[in-house]
Amino acid sequence: MPPRKVKPMDKLSKRLRDDAACIDVAISEELDHRIEASLRAATPETDPGRARAARPALFWWASTITGVAAAAAVIALLNWQVPDEPVRPPPVPIAELAPLPDLNVEAAMLTAPLQQELEDLQSDFKKAEEKVRRDIGL
Amino acid sequence: MDAFTDLARHHRERLLRFLLTRCASFADAEDVLQDTLIAAYRYIHSYDPRWRFSTWLYRIAIRNAAKLRGPDHVQIGDLRDEDNDPLQKCIAWSESENLWVNARRLLNDEVFAAMWLRYAEDMSVKDISQALDRSVSWTKVNLMRGRRVLDAELNDAATKSEAYG
Repeated sequence: MPPRKVKPMDKLSKRLRDDAACIDVAISEELDHRIEASLRAATPETDPGRARAARPALFWWASTITGVAAAAAVIALLNWQVPDEPVRPPPVPIAELAPLPDLNVEAAMLTAPLQQELEDLQSDFKKAEEKVRRDIGL
Repeated sequence: MDAFTDLARHHRERLLRFLLTRCASFADAEDVLQDTLIAAYRYIHSYDPRWRFSTWLYRIAIRNAAKLRGPDHVQIGDLRDEDNDPLQKCIAWSESENLWVNARRLLNDEVFAAMWLRYAEDMSVKDISQALDRSVSWTKVNLMRGRRVLDAELNDAATKSEAYG
């Protein structure tokens, strides 16, 4: 592999680097003690993901069994409250519900007006026919 | 704990130097450094090993420094008392003015931070974008803008010194 070509540092980059180096800072002993003391006092927080993974397998089983038991109890309770057969009302005779009209009516009584009407129409028809014959001279 | 202390010891001076550019006083910078290291220790479980550890530390430090400035995110330049500027106090004597002092005057806080991470900490653009919680393209564009501004400042200063000299 050929050596990586290093870009020559331009004037501005060099100046910025040199000027940054001119900023002289030192950690005071007091700050050093302060930082160390606060680091000792602090405790790293645990990763929530890791905490979940750290739960024992028994926890999973226990929660599964509890869930299944609760579901079974609910189902049993619902089934226990529902009766085996649906409640049906006692059969009621139809006649009691709505009394039927008397069907034994004379047929002649029902057809009589129509018969009369027919006869009247036939007689009107005959009269009209005779009148037409007379008019045309037959 | 001891491993973390060693790691923190390796980074804390550089962090403090960076925080001096983002805090109104030396005491504030020290407080933010302390809070940053404690937060990093407490939430070490959330550290993503795909990141550089220093990038993660700088991200926490930037957030903590911003928290200190309050919800309105006042620009550092507006907070600082010129006579008690912690950055000025820590700059070693030099013939020319430190360019970071001008950078802080000319650039906004985020662009300044991007420039600092790039040129003082030698971070990659990707790491800077992670530390600032910005996109890579935002970082590239603003690094370029920052460079242009500082280049102009540098040339201007050179012209002035030639004119006087």
